[in-house]
Amino acid sequence: MKVSQIAGFLGSGKTTAVMKIVDELMKRGRRMAIVVNDVGEINVDAKFIESHGLKAKEIAGGCICCQIAGTFSETLAKLHDAYDPEIVIVEPSGVAIPWGLKRAAEYSEAKADMVIEHAPVITLVDATRIDLLVKAVKRLVETQIREADVCFVNKVDTASAADIAKTEQLIKEINPKAEISHMSSESGHGIKYACDLIEKKISPRYDEAVEEELLKKQYKG
Amino acid sequence: MAEMTHIERVMAALTNAPADRLTTYPIACGVNRKLVNGGITYREWCHDPKLFAQAFIEGQKAFDYDFAIGLMDLSVMAGDLGAGVRMDEQNTPFVDRHIVNSPEDYEKFEVPDIKKGRSAVLLEGTKLYADKLKTEVITAGFLEGPLLALSQSAGAERMFMDMFTNPSAVHKALETMTAYDVEMVKGFGKTGVAGLCWDYLWANYSCLGDDQYEEFEGCKKYAVGLNELTTKEGMAVAIHSCADLPHLDTQIFKFKPAIYSMAYYPLIPGSPSATEVIEKGYADNCLIGGQIDPQLFIRGSVEKITQVTKDLCQEVKTALCKKGLQGKYCIASGCEVPPDVHTKMENIKAVVDTTKQYGKIDW
Ligand SMILES: Nc1nc2c(ncn2[C@@H]2O[C@H](COP(=O)(O)OP(=O)(O)OP(=O)(O)O)[C@@H](O)[C@H]2O)c(=O)[nH]1
Ligand SMILES: [Mg+2]
Repeated sequence: MKVSQIAGFLGSGKTTAVMKIVDELMKRGRRMAIVVNDVGEINVDAKFIESHGLKAKEIAGGCICCQIAGTFSETLAKLHDAYDPEIVIVEPSGVAIPWGLKRAAEYSEAKADMVIEHAPVITLVDATRIDLLVKAVKRLVETQIREADVCFVNKVDTASAADIAKTEQLIKEINPKAEISHMSSESGHGIKYACDLIEKKISPRYDEAVEEELLKKQYKG
Repeated sequence: MAEMTHIERVMAALTNAPADRLTTYPIACGVNRKLVNGGITYREWCHDPKLFAQAFIEGQKAFDYDFAIGLMDLSVMAGDLGAGVRMDEQNTPFVDRHIVNSPEDYEKFEVPDIKKGRSAVLLEGTKLYADKLKTEVITAGFLEGPLLALSQSAGAERMFMDMFTNPSAVHKALETMTAYDVEMVKGFGKTGVAGLCWDYLWANYSCLGDDQYEEFEGCKKYAVGLNELTTKEGMAVAIHSCADLPHLDTQIFKFKPAIYSMAYYPLIPGSPSATEVIEKGYADNCLIGGQIDPQLFIRGSVEKITQVTKDLCQEVKTALCKKGLQGKYCIASGCEVPPDVHTKMENIKAVVDTTKQYGKIDW
């Protein structure tokens, strides 16, 4: 089962994007499930929510390492047993650390007969509020950019060219390795490309990455 | 050196006196409920003071820890403040309905009656296990700090944003959280525990810088005052932080806790390892606890966790010896042992037994 994280700070357009991504991937014939924290105001087919939706306020805790990891992994194991989805799209809160979530996802292997793979970690950065975000919650935004495989500059439909450029610059400074792309989760621009990434690319597992890191340390690089 | 009692060993560690071995405490709390009456649910455990206490008593019998620290979960205060808490049979309860929807809501918080709700369960339960265990091990209560209690009630992202856009409203709420904590500290003071362990979760450079942490928690009005009150009520100050980038200078050098329990994230650049923490002097006047990956208790084999514990003992002993320190490190999990039905109890035993064997202080 592949787990795909769509991260980003409060209001960055995650749920809007997740719904469109799931829609597109279902059209491509994928069995999908979602773990999002709020579907209330988003206009999606009720049947779809019933069969695939799960509330996930549980991953809003910040401290994903211990208590909450259990609940999240339980959710994934249950989804696996009930629907056997190929891909689960997860919308973490803006205080969750993507590595922590990967680890929690792998932890679900102890609870269901499956192997977890990770899609590239996608972080959405809201270009329309970039100045406010940098002033108010700089460190949280930096953490999510630092841990992303791909950053989407989101809401390009309304953001000014200057704000888009500023957002790109910020991403480059924080995470030069991340791929940068554009999205408008509202209009659907960039959604197909996000789906290609989710379907085709893989991001490293937490446990393997840790073993590698520890070995590096032991042998001093 | 002859084998010490648990209390002698911890006292030696705290005062940097010679001891037989390193102390150990896998932070096994909710998971001990599996030992009560053949296994009870999380929901039962966190609503009944007798069952809550019994889990720590059974855990002690089964594993022979050096401490007993009574963590329930991180939504006790938020729940009693009125937030919606989802209470599954077997999962850790968590907040699923925040109660701040506008800046005005920060001013509406009121200190709840601590003789009711889960605050009361926590205090009564703590007293019950302290009564039973305090002559055998070092006992401590566990309490959420003001910023954590607020983030659980308001939603963390919203709170962080409002710290910038509506700081006075956030301070207003933090004053209420602190008043609630004051009541709780006085309550814990009457339970007979030797210490109180604070969860000041947001002292984390991934979230807050020094200035912000100082303004919203690290100052006299909040944490410093609460730490002083803890001491005044006859309890030692302990702090647990599972942050990836903890504010060690503030939380150890400034707060001066007797014990500091921490996690380690090898993949996060700058996350401090046991060796670094000791080298940089944080263990000089504080007993540091950590940093076994909690997930190993669920996914690792006994062999694997034994090896990890052995390696950690060796790492810590080398660093302590270099620094001229005695047993100022407690072999613990970096965060709570997953309170999960799938957690392997034999792995908890392996950590304790391996520390007994390989944690001997022989330098
Ligand atoms: N202009 C514009 N607005 C958008 C876009 N995507 C989302 N929004 C708006 O941004 C707001 C937040 O969108 P959500 O999809 O709920 O964002 P979220 O990240 O899931 O929010 P939280 O779950 O509350 O953190 C809503 O008012 C959306 O209508 C976009 O591409 N362009
Ligand atoms: Mg959302």
